Amino acid sequence: MIRPALSALRGGPVLLDLRLGSFASFRINVRVLAICLLLLVVVIALAAWAATLGSFIVPLDEVVRATFSESTRQFEFVVVQLRLPRILSAILVGAALASSGAIFQGLVRNPLVSPDIIGIQAGATVVAVFMIVNGYTDRYIPLGAFGGAVTAATAIYLLAWKGGMSGNRLVLVGIGIDALLAAGTRYLIVKFPVQQAQAAIAWSTGTVYGTGWFDVQVIAVALGELLPLAIVLTWQLRVLQFGDDIAYVLGMRVEPTRLALILVGCALAAVAVAVAGPVGFIALMVPHVARIIGGPMTGGTLLLTALLGAVLLLGADIVALHVLPVALPVGVVTAGVGAPYFLFLLYRANVRM
Amino acid sequence: MTRLEAREVRLGYGDAVIIDGLTASIPDHRITSIIGANGCGKSTLLRGLARLLRPQGGAVLLDGQAIHHQPTKQIARKLGLLAQQANAPESITVEDLVRRGRYPHQSLLQPPTDADRDAIDRAIAFAGVDDLRDRAVDQLSGGQRQRAWLAMVLAQETDLLLLDEPTTFLDIAHQHEVLDLVRRLNRDEGKTVVMVLHDINEAARWSDHVIAMRDGAVVAEGTPAEMITPARILDVFNVATDVVTAPGTGLPICVPRGTPVELRAERPPTPVRLRADRLSLHYGARAVIDDLSVEVPAGAITAIVGPNACGKSTLLRGMSRLLPPAGGAALLDERPVHETPRRRMAQRMALLPQAPESPPGIRVDEMVASGRFPHQRWYRQWSAGDAAAVSRALDATDMQPLATHEVDALSGGQRQRAWVALTLAQDTPLLLLDEPTTFLDIAHQVELLDLVRALNRREGRTVVMVLHDLGQACRYADHVIVMDGGRVVAAGSPAATITEALVRDVFGVECDIVADPLTGGPLVIPHGLIAQDAAEGSAPPAEPARVSST
Repeated sequence: MIRPALSALRGGPVLLDLRLGSFASFRINVRVLAICLLLLVVVIALAAWAATLGSFIVPLDEVVRATFSESTRQFEFVVVQLRLPRILSAILVGAALASSGAIFQGLVRNPLVSPDIIGIQAGATVVAVFMIVNGYTDRYIPLGAFGGAVTAATAIYLLAWKGGMSGNRLVLVGIGIDALLAAGTRYLIVKFPVQQAQAAIAWSTGTVYGTGWFDVQVIAVALGELLPLAIVLTWQLRVLQFGDDIAYVLGMRVEPTRLALILVGCALAAVAVAVAGPVGFIALMVPHVARIIGGPMTGGTLLLTALLGAVLLLGADIVALHVLPVALPVGVVTAGVGAPYFLFLLYRANVRM
Repeated sequence: MTRLEAREVRLGYGDAVIIDGLTASIPDHRITSIIGANGCGKSTLLRGLARLLRPQGGAVLLDGQAIHHQPTKQIARKLGLLAQQANAPESITVEDLVRRGRYPHQSLLQPPTDADRDAIDRAIAFAGVDDLRDRAVDQLSGGQRQRAWLAMVLAQETDLLLLDEPTTFLDIAHQHEVLDLVRRLNRDEGKTVVMVLHDINEAARWSDHVIAMRDGAVVAEGTPAEMITPARILDVFNVATDVVTAPGTGLPICVPRGTPVELRAERPPTPVRLRADRLSLHYGARAVIDDLSVEVPAGAITAIVGPNACGKSTLLRGMSRLLPPAGGAALLDERPVHETPRRRMAQRMALLPQAPESPPGIRVDEMVASGRFPHQRWYRQWSAGDAAAVSRALDATDMQPLATHEVDALSGGQRQRAWVALTLAQDTPLLLLDEPTTFLDIAHQVELLDLVRALNRREGRTVVMVLHDLGQACRYADHVIVMDGGRVVAAGSPAATITEALVRDVFGVECDIVADPLTGGPLVIPHGLIAQDAAEGSAPPAEPARVSST
C-alpha cells in the first residue's frame, strides 16, 4: 500500500529551535525542510527535462544556455517562447492549487474538501466558457475566469454565513453552488455551435497548453504574495483546527482569521484556474499526501504541499504531452489519477467509521 | 443453562483484538451489570452479545445456538439493545421512535396489526412517556430521552435487554429514574437485563449480578456484596477505596481514596478576581441564565453543581466569553470579559470545554504546544519560555513519557490529561474546567481531580470546575456553587452548603449525608427518588424559594 510507505517516510519530526534574542523565535522541522529542498531539486530537474522533450528534441545544455544566456535563435524560440511558459505555469498552478486545497481542508476539518468541489472552479469555468463561446479574445479569458471564481467564492461565503461560519455548511452550500454553475456551463456548451463549444470544452478540462509569459508573470506575482501569507496564516489555522471554542479560549480572533484564510484560499484557487482552467484533484489529493509525509499542517507542511503540487502537476503535464499516444489536457491525467484516489479515500473513511 | 452466553469468544475491531477467549454466561431473569475501567472491553463485549460485532473466534450463544448463524429478525425478537448515545433523526416524535421498535415483528407492506399497536401503547405506558408521545425526541430532557429510547426497546418485546451506559450524561435524579424503570422491567416483567455501567455504586445498587472486567477478561463476578470490597475494586480499577455503609439502605458504598492527605498550599494564590454581575445568558431566544450574580474566590477550587440543564456549563461559557452576555457582565479583574482584548483574556484564563476534538494525527507535544498561542506571535513561535511552559505542563500531568505519541491513540484518561496539559501550558492564574471527569472511569477520575488539586495547592492557580458528581464536588472543592433553573441556589463551603434538604430540593433525590472517611467532609449517598416526574419537563419554579442559609 502507498500509505504505509509514506508513513514510514514521515518518521518523527526533527526539531530545530531558532532564536534571535527574545524577539523572534521559530521551531523548524528539519525533516520537512529537507524534504522541501529535495522536492525543489526534483522540480528543477523535471522542468529541465521537460524543456528538452517534444517533437523537436533540444539537448539539455542548449536548454540551459537558451534559458540563461545566448543560444541559437531556433533553440531560443522553442525553449523560451514555447516550452518554458508552459512548464512554469504547470509548476505555479500546481503549487497554488495544492496550497489552496490544504487551507480549505484545514478550515473545514474535512479531508474531502477542495476548491474544485465547493464550486470556486465552477464559477471560473462558467464565465470562461461564456466568453469563449461568445468569441472574446484569449487575453480577457483569465480575467473573466478570475472574476467568476471570486464571485462564486463570495456567493458561497455569503450564503453559508448564518451569524457565524460553520465548515459543514460552507461545504454543503459550495456543493450546491457547484452543481448550479456546472449546469450553467453545460447549457452554454449545448446551446452554442460545435466549433465554439469545442474550444470551451478543452478549456474546461484544465490545460496549461498555450500559456504565455504573461500568464506566468501574473501567477508568479500572485503566488509570491499569497503563499507567504498562507504560511503565516497556517500558524493560526493550526489552532483553529482544535475547533472554535478552543481557538476563542486561546485568544484568537476567530472570524477575521477564518475570513482571511478563506480569502487567501479562494485567491490561490482563482489565480490557478484563471491560467489553467479547472484542473481537477490536485487540490484534493496533494494535501493528504503532504500531511502523511510532513505531519499536521504547519507552515513547513504547507510549503511541502505547494512543492508537491508543483511536482505532480508538472509530472502530469509531461505524461499528458509526451507519454500518452495523443496529447491530452493535463486535467484529464490528474482526474484519471485523482478519481481512483478519491474513491480510495472514501473507502478508507468508511473503514474508519 | 442460561439463554445468553459467550463461549471462548474473541472480539475486536480489525487487527485490534480487545477480548480474547472470554467465557461468561448471563443469568436469566436477573439484572447483570458489567463494570470495568476505560478500555477494558465492556462495551465491546456487550456489542458482541448483541450481535453487532462478529466474533473472530468462539461464539455467542443464544438459546444454545450461535447468534451469528441465526437470522437478524429472529434475534431482534429475542434480544433488544440500547446503544450508547443512540441518535434519532432530529425531529422524530416519541411515538414514531417507539414504533420503530416493532420492526422485527413486521414484514414489508404489512399494515400495523393490533399486536403492534398494543405493544407500542404498553411500552409507552410502562416507560412513562405517555404525555410525551407527540413531542420531538430532541426537545426532551436527558432523562425523558433515555426513557423514550427504552420504550422503543420495550416495544420490541424481547426477553433480553442489553443497555450500554444508559445513565451517562444524566444527573442523579434522571439516573435513578432510568434505573428504576430498568428494575421494574426485571421485577414486574421478568426481563433479563445486561447493563454496562461505569459507576460501580450504581451497578451494585441496581443489579443482582456483577461481572467485573479488566484488559478484555472477566476478573471476577458475583453478587454486589461480594464485589464491593476494597480488594476487588483495587484489582479491577486499580484505585484504593474505602467502603462505607449507607445508613438509609444498609448497602455498601465504595468511595475512592485519592490523595491521602490534604496538600498544603505551597505558593500564595495569584490574585485574580472573577465574578458575574447580574449576568444574563441566552441561547437564541431562550434565556438560560437571567440576572445572576456570583463570585469565585481567588486561590480556591470552586465546583459548580446542579441537575441537568441548570445552566452550569452555560455559566462557564459566559464567564469565559464564549457566549456573549444578553445582559449584565462577567468581570475578570473588574473588567467585563467581552470588552477585554482576547489575547489578554487568554493569558489570564484558560478553559477546557466539554469533549474537545483534536485534529487527526497530531502528537501530544504538538497539541500541548498550541496552548502557548496567546503568548506567541507568528514571528515569535517558539521562545525559551514556550519550551519551558510546555515541558512543565507535560511534567505536571505526567504526560512526558507519552509526549511523542499521537493523541488519537491514547486512552480516554490519557487524552483528557493531554487536554489539561494544553490548558496548563497556557500558563494562566485561572483555570476553568467543564465536566473534566465525564467519560473517565473511577481511577482516572480520581487521578484527574488529584491533579487539579495539586495544581491549585502547588501553583496557586484558581480553579473553577463544573461537576455533575456531588461527591466529587464535596471532596475536592473548597467552595461550591449550587445552581438550579439558571439561578444560584446556594454557595459556600461544601460542609455548610450541601445538606440533605438541599439535595432533595435541587436534585430531587433523598440522600444521607455521612462523614467522608478520608476528609471528614460531607459524603452524599443518594437512596431514592422523591415525587417522581415532578421535576421533569416542566418549567423551573418561578420562585427561588429554596436558597438555603449558608
